[in-house]
Parts: sequence; C-alpha cells; structure tokens
Amino acid sequence: MAIVVNLDVMMAKRKMSLNELSEKVGLTLSNLSILKTGKAKAIRFSTLELICKVLECQPGDLLEYQVDE
Amino acid sequence: MNTKQILSAMKIVSWIIFIGLCIKAGAIIISFCITLFVNAEGASDLYLGLDLSTLYETNKRYFINLTSFIITIDLLKAYLFYLVVKIFTKMNLNKPFSNSLASLITKISYVSFSMGLIAIIASAYNKWLMHKGMTSQLNWESSSYLFMAGIIFIIAVHFKRGIELQTENELTI
Repeated sequence: MAIVVNLDVMMAKRKMSLNELSEKVGLTLSNLSILKTGKAKAIRFSTLELICKVLECQPGDLLEYQVDE
Repeated sequence: MNTKQILSAMKIVSWIIFIGLCIKAGAIIISFCITLFVNAEGASDLYLGLDLSTLYETNKRYFINLTSFIITIDLLKAYLFYLVVKIFTKMNLNKPFSNSLASLITKISYVSFSMGLIAIIASAYNKWLMHKGMTSQLNWESSSYLFMAGIIFIIAVHFKRGIELQTENELTI
C-alpha cells in the first residue's frame, strides 16, 4: 500500500500501549489494530485529530507515502 | 407495519409458495409415473386439469418430452423459491450486504435465466406439437422469466458493489 501508517512507531516513541491509546482516543482495540496493521481503507479527520492529540504529534508523523514498486 | 414485520410476512409467504411448488412438482411427477407405468388414464388430468391424453395416445415419446419440460420448470420454480427462503433466513438488516446473499441473488438470476431458456424451447416444442394437432397451447411464460433474470442480475451486480462499499465503510476508522 502506498500510504503507510506509522502508528506503532509513534506509540513506541511515546511508550504507549495499544490498550492505553484505545482508552484515551476512545476507539476500540480492533479498530486501532486495523489501523496499526495497515488494513484500514480510510481514516476520519476526527480520528486523526484525536490520535495526534493523544500522541502529541502531527498527521505527517503517523502517515507516510511510499512509492509502490 | 414496519420493515421487520413485512420481511417476516414475506418469509412465511415464501415458505408457503415453496411448499406449494414442491407439492405441485411432486404431484406432476407422481401423475407422470402413474400414467407411464400404471394407468394411462392419468394423462387426462396430470395436475389440476392439465390434459395431455391426446398427446399420450398419439405418441408416448412426445408426451414424455413435453411433461419433462413441465416438470423441469416446476422443479426449477421450487428451487428458485428455496433460494428466496434462504435469502430471508440469511438476511440481516444491520449488515445488509454479504457475500452469501450476493451469491444467492446471482444464483436466482441464473436459475431464472435457465427457466426462461427452457421455457422458450418448451414453448417452441409445444407450438410444433400444436401444429400437428396433438396438444393445446400451454402457458410457458418464457419472457417473464428472462425479464426477471435480467432485473435480478442487475440487482446482483449492484449488490456486489454494495458489499465493496460496506467493506470500505467498515474499514474506515
């Protein structure tokens, strides 16, 4: 996939577990897992805003564009 | 009456129609077997006044062919309603688009198309027998089956697109 979600990298940097993030953001563990594993087809701005707020980062820290080979 | 009640009512009606069609197909098969192996009088009233006695007396092979067409279409009709009953069983309004439902709808369109083709052949055969003065014109409804097949196929294609949209929606976080 061309857009890579670096949620696990940011979580590791902030030393935050998936459970903790799930509680703080208000998303279910399964939805966060879908996002983390790159299975998600889209992300709402509201979700992105919440994650950025909790992880104290920018959307660019979470999302990365990679050229498909 | 809300949607759930309407669907429940339709499910019951579908069951009744399915059982009715099974009984009809079974009755014709039994009458057909009785006519062939027990009593030739059966041909005069195969099912609710269906009289093919002239055809039976003229040529047994033609009788077998025409009755086989009738039985095949009735069996397919019963199968079609079995699929409709299955749709009502598997239907879930909270998650309306599923692969099993899509395959059932596609199957219904194929069954209906097959029924249309068989009905066209049967109708032509019936006309040929009519020209020979062996039987009267029966109602085969081939165009209705083909029309239904076309409409249901379009619905099936849209349904598949619905599955894609639902999956996309589910994977939007």
